[in-house]
Amino acid sequence: MNQLVSVGTSHHVAPIEFREKLAFSEEQLIESLQRLRESDQVQEAVILSTCNRVELYAVAHSVRNADAAAKMLLEFLAQYHQMSVESLKKWCYLHHNLETIQHLFRVTASLDSMVVGESQILGQVKASYNRSRETGAVGTVLNRLFTKAFSVGKRVRSETTITAGAVSISYAAVELAKKIFNTLEGKTVAILGAGEMSELTAKHLVANGVSKVVVANRTYARAVKVAEKFNGTPLAYDSNLDFLMAADIVISSTDAPHYLINRQPLADIMRRRRHRYMFLIDIAVPRDIDPDVSKVDHAFLYNIDDLEAVVASNLQDRQQEAVQAERIVAEEAKRFYNQLQVFQVNPTIKAIHQQFQQVADTELQACFYKAALSHQQEAAVTSMTQAIVKKLLHHPMQNLRCAVNDGDADHAQYVQALQELFELDVNDDNSEL
Amino acid sequence: MSFLFLLTVLIYLAASIFQALFLATGARSGASTLRPKIASIALWSTIAGFALLTFFIGVWVLQHGHFPMTYRTHSIAFFAWAITLIYLIIVRLTDLRALGSFVVPVAFIAILISYNFVTDVAALPEPLQNYWLLAHTTLIFLAYAAFIAAFGFGLMYLIAERKIRQKTDTLFDNLLPSLGISDELGYRCTILGVILLTMGVIVGSLWTQYIRDVPWRWIDAKVISTLVTWFIYVVQIGFRQFWGWHGHRAAYAAILGFAAVLCTYVGVDLFLDSMHTYR
Repeated sequence: MNQLVSVGTSHHVAPIEFREKLAFSEEQLIESLQRLRESDQVQEAVILSTCNRVELYAVAHSVRNADAAAKMLLEFLAQYHQMSVESLKKWCYLHHNLETIQHLFRVTASLDSMVVGESQILGQVKASYNRSRETGAVGTVLNRLFTKAFSVGKRVRSETTITAGAVSISYAAVELAKKIFNTLEGKTVAILGAGEMSELTAKHLVANGVSKVVVANRTYARAVKVAEKFNGTPLAYDSNLDFLMAADIVISSTDAPHYLINRQPLADIMRRRRHRYMFLIDIAVPRDIDPDVSKVDHAFLYNIDDLEAVVASNLQDRQQEAVQAERIVAEEAKRFYNQLQVFQVNPTIKAIHQQFQQVADTELQACFYKAALSHQQEAAVTSMTQAIVKKLLHHPMQNLRCAVNDGDADHAQYVQALQELFELDVNDDNSEL
Repeated sequence: MSFLFLLTVLIYLAASIFQALFLATGARSGASTLRPKIASIALWSTIAGFALLTFFIGVWVLQHGHFPMTYRTHSIAFFAWAITLIYLIIVRLTDLRALGSFVVPVAFIAILISYNFVTDVAALPEPLQNYWLLAHTTLIFLAYAAFIAAFGFGLMYLIAERKIRQKTDTLFDNLLPSLGISDELGYRCTILGVILLTMGVIVGSLWTQYIRDVPWRWIDAKVISTLVTWFIYVVQIGFRQFWGWHGHRAAYAAILGFAAVLCTYVGVDLFLDSMHTYR
């Protein structure tokens, strides 16, 4: 009876200092999977290693092996990364069966991520899984588990809105710009001053279609340097705002102590540019743009606090949606666990039937050989033995199936006992899976 | 016949309810998974209502041998038909469902008012039974429908702009089109409306002048009121072209134009004397 075991750590439980020691590079990953496969306790394994988490998923051969397998995984990690098992125990979580399934589903549904609803984790898990599969460490159980985990990740994303709404300042700016202009294609962005945040925002805007970048800075050399990154036009800024004539989006982040863009000059510019929309983003502290500018027709002003409020409200929305997502994950995990159990019990049931049938057949042949029976009598005796086999097995097998369906934890032991008591040779490749 | 019309009214009611629900589901949390279903029910019930109404008018024309334009109820039903047609064309071209939440209820109210359609059976006076009347009224009703679409875009623009200025990121603003889209499509609808209205007026005047040989009456209330409406829209287009009056100014102008359309269509008909008055 196969058991699912997982050992791992993530940003929720461990600091970066610990996670970085545990991380696997690509070569390390392949090497360690090969070593894991050589061990007796582990049948199948997948290693997931991203910057936020390191997790080992494994299939152990039997119930008794499950604890041994978990211990072995911990020891393996400790040995591989030259750490003490105690420190691993302190920072790692250990999951069995249903817990493992639920945990993996939460990971692919991005519910366990730093930012709920982020899109990268699904791809990262897929990549790790594929790499593990290439080394031959994945068998039918993990194959089934991960395939299901990917589909649960997709289901959660399509049936809830946990991925909706920007959760970073720069994306919030892009989203707002789209609400104003619809498309950013052919639009011009002007960067006043320079800074990491304004460059990041500009980068996202360009990635979303903005075609022209103008960089204005008091120091021309600085403007040239920033403009190079976007293939933009550098400009020496000398309190002349004429460069705003062509700008659709303005990002301001200078360290000027006073407002650089005031209401009246901007109103004049807006009139001269025939009131084409202008989206102004003021990420400077102290502010560069007079808040009164938002009273100018067709000019929309957002400062850093406004953008942060948008992000906060989006995060809150995602948290609310996460409740619904958790429900989906719990439901899918439970269903998958039951299916897995049923499929895993089937080979045992089949084997015991075969064994009984074999005994009956042998005895029948011996009986026919000794007593010369007519065809009619032979048929009667054959059907009688078959009925006996069936009836003897009926209750035990039905109870076993019930135990599995009820999610009864004992059934694994039942299966184990059956296999050992009857010396069943259960084919372990789970070809029916 | 009356059963068919009742069914049409009910389907329009359902369509209006689902169109309104569609906007209500725009609020982020909760009903988000229902939204696509509601959107498709809203659209398909609108299409069903439109198909039934078209069928109904078609059957009526076959039965009576002329176009239903004698009574106010006839004209209002036709008005509802034109509004739905323009809305469906816009959805087909742009896939902007949100417009329906503003426009389909107007069509529903129109068809509800026209409920006596079936019992109003007097024939159209002989001189009016020709294709001139059909062309004249069709063009003008399609113009009205285009103006109502422009009005819907204007409302959506104003709501969305308000949301952006208030910096509140809630309710149905994520279902509303962007400012640029509402503004541009509202403008296109306005231009379409002006072209159709101009053509309708020309057809009407040619018909009276040259075909029926009726002396031209400038002081006909409907004529004057239509000219005022036409003027409001033409001035609006001019301001936009020459002084860049777009955005919320254009949106307010679309609302003003809608009010003028209502005055021309309903006000004149009910309260003033005109050769255009229905029975």
